[in-house]
Amino acid sequence: MSTSTTAKAAAPSTAGGAGLSFAGVLRSEWIKFRSLTSTKVLLLCTFVAVIGVGTLTAWLRGTIIEQTMKFGLARPGIPGSNPTGMTAEAAEKTLPPNLALYGIPNGGLQIGILILGSLAVLFISSEFATGMIRSTMTAIPKRLPAFAAKAIVLVVVSYVITLAAAFVTFLISIPILHSYGISMNLQREGLLPAIFLGGLYVAGVALIGLSLGTLLRNSAGGIMVLVALFFVLPFGTQLLTLVPGDFWLHVNEYVPSVAGGRMLEIGHRDAFIDPWAGGLIFVAWILLFLIPAVITLKKRDV
Amino acid sequence: MIEATNLAKKYGEKVAVAGVSFSIEPGQVTGFLGPNGAGKSTTMRMIVGLDRPTAGSVIVNGRPYAEHRDPLHQVGALLDAKAVHTSRSAYNHLLAMAATHGISTTRVNEVIEMTGLAEVAKKKAGGFSLGMGQRLGIAAALLGDPQTLILDEPVNGLDPEGVLWVRNLVKYLAGQGKTVFLSSHLMSEMAQTADHLIVIGRGRIIADAPIADIIAGKQQARTRIRSQQVSELSDLLAGEGVSVNSSENETLEVSGLDAHQIARIALDNRVLIYELTPLNASLEEAYFDLTKDEVEFHSHSLANSGGQAPEGN
Repeated sequence: MSTSTTAKAAAPSTAGGAGLSFAGVLRSEWIKFRSLTSTKVLLLCTFVAVIGVGTLTAWLRGTIIEQTMKFGLARPGIPGSNPTGMTAEAAEKTLPPNLALYGIPNGGLQIGILILGSLAVLFISSEFATGMIRSTMTAIPKRLPAFAAKAIVLVVVSYVITLAAAFVTFLISIPILHSYGISMNLQREGLLPAIFLGGLYVAGVALIGLSLGTLLRNSAGGIMVLVALFFVLPFGTQLLTLVPGDFWLHVNEYVPSVAGGRMLEIGHRDAFIDPWAGGLIFVAWILLFLIPAVITLKKRDV
Repeated sequence: MIEATNLAKKYGEKVAVAGVSFSIEPGQVTGFLGPNGAGKSTTMRMIVGLDRPTAGSVIVNGRPYAEHRDPLHQVGALLDAKAVHTSRSAYNHLLAMAATHGISTTRVNEVIEMTGLAEVAKKKAGGFSLGMGQRLGIAAALLGDPQTLILDEPVNGLDPEGVLWVRNLVKYLAGQGKTVFLSSHLMSEMAQTADHLIVIGRGRIIADAPIADIIAGKQQARTRIRSQQVSELSDLLAGEGVSVNSSENETLEVSGLDAHQIARIALDNRVLIYELTPLNASLEEAYFDLTKDEVEFHSHSLANSGGQAPEGN
C-alpha cells in the first residue's frame, strides 16, 4: 500500500468513537435486548408467572402439611385414618424430598427455564431470521465478541430475574406457611443455596438456548430442541428405569434438567449423583452445545 | 481501496465467483455491473467477511476487513436493505450499531437527518417500505463516516428523489477522496453515477475500465443518414474502414466516418440529406454486448415456454 493511501485511511473521522471495543459490543447487545417490546413483555410475564407458581407451591405444600397433621400419613376420607395430633415440624419431616420446603422459592423454576430459555434462542435466531445478523457481523467481523456479549446479557438477565422472583416468592411464602403454623425463614437448611443457585441454573439453560439458536439459526427449531431437552427427555429417561439392569436405573439422573436440578438439591439428598456432580454434569451439557455453536458461528457464512 | 486477488466462492458444486482480481481506487465511484446471479452480492459479502472465500483473498484499506480495529470507520456497507430486526425501531437499530464502536448519539441523529428518516426513526423497521429500508441501510453504512463505502443495489426501491440523492451522495463522497463501490443491474444508473466500471458475469470479470472506455471501446460510433438518394450516397461514402448499412428505406447507418465528413461528401456531390444523427453507443448496448454469453438466467419468450410441454407428462 502506498503512503498516500495510508495517510488517507488514518485521517480522523468526524463520526468520532474509539473503534470497536468489547465494552461497546456489550452495550450494543444490551441496547438490542432492551429495545424490543416483546422481550420486555416476556420478561415481565416470566417474573409474574414464576412468582405465581412459586406461591401456589407454597400453598400446596402448606396444605399437605396441614392434611398430614390432621390425618397422619393416610389419605383423608379413607376409613381408619385418625387425627394424629402431629406438630407441624413432625408433619414437615414426612414430606417426600421433592416437596421439601426449601424448594419453594424455586417452585416456578420450570416456567423460568421455558420462557428465558426460549428468549435466549430467539435472541440470536431472530437475528438470523430478520437478516440483522449481517449488520451485527459487519460491525463485529470477528463475530465471537458478539456471541460473548449476548451470552453475558442473557446470563445476567436470567440470573437477576430468577433471583428476584425466588426472593419475592420466599417473602410471599412466609405468611402463607405461617397460616399453617410453619415458620419460613432464611435460616432454613438449603434455602439460601436454592435461592442463589436457581438463577445460575436458569442462566445455564439460557446459554444452552443461545447455543441452540446459533447452531440451528431457526427460532422454532431451537425452541423445540430446548423443550425436548428439558421437558421431554427427563420423562423419556424415567421410562428407562423400567428396563431391567442397574445401568438404566441411573440414566435419568444425567439428563440436563435432572442433573441441573440436583445442583439445587431438588430430589433425594442421597441420590446417586450429589449436587456438585449434578452441577458439573450440567456444565458439561452447556459446553456440549456451546462449543459447536461458537465454532459454527466463526466458520459459517452469515 | 479494495484489492481482491483470485477471489473465489463456491456453494457446494455451484461456482458463484470464479477467482476474480480487481482493485478499487479511492476518489472515484466504481460501479459493479452484472446480471442477476452474476456474483455481485457474493463478492461484496466476501469483502466484509460475511462469506468466507473458497480461495483467494480480499483486503480493504491495506488489511483484511476483520483485522481492522475500527471496521465501521473503515467500511460502511449496505448489503441488504433488510439486514435489520423487524421489531426494532430504526433509531434503536442505529444506536446498537453505533454502540459497538462508541459512536455518539449525535452522529446517530446526524445520519438519521441526512437520510431523511427523522419522521419514521422511532417506528419499527419491519413496517418500512423498500425505499425507507434502503435509506436505513445507507444510514447504517454512513454511521462510522467510513473511508470505503460498499453499496449493493442502493437505489433499489427508491423514489426518483431518493435516486438523485444517492447519486449525489456517492459522487460527493468520492470527491472527498473516499472509495465508493456500488453494484447495480441498472445500466442507466451506472451510466449516470459511476466513473469506473467492473462488469461481472457468471462469476467472472468481463470488463474493468473507465466507463467512457467501455461505452466507446465496444461499439464504433455510427451516424444515421436519411436521404432520398441512398444508393448514390452509399457509393460515395464507401471506402477503407467505412461500413454502410441500410436497415430501412431512405436510411443509412455509417460507421468509420463522422458526421462532419459525411456532410462534406454530401455537399460536394450535391446529395440532399435531411437527417444526419450521430449515434452514441449506449452503456446498455455495450453491456449486452459484453454479457450476452454470460447471462445466468436467459429469459424465454412466453410463447416459447408455453409451447413446450414438460416431458413425462
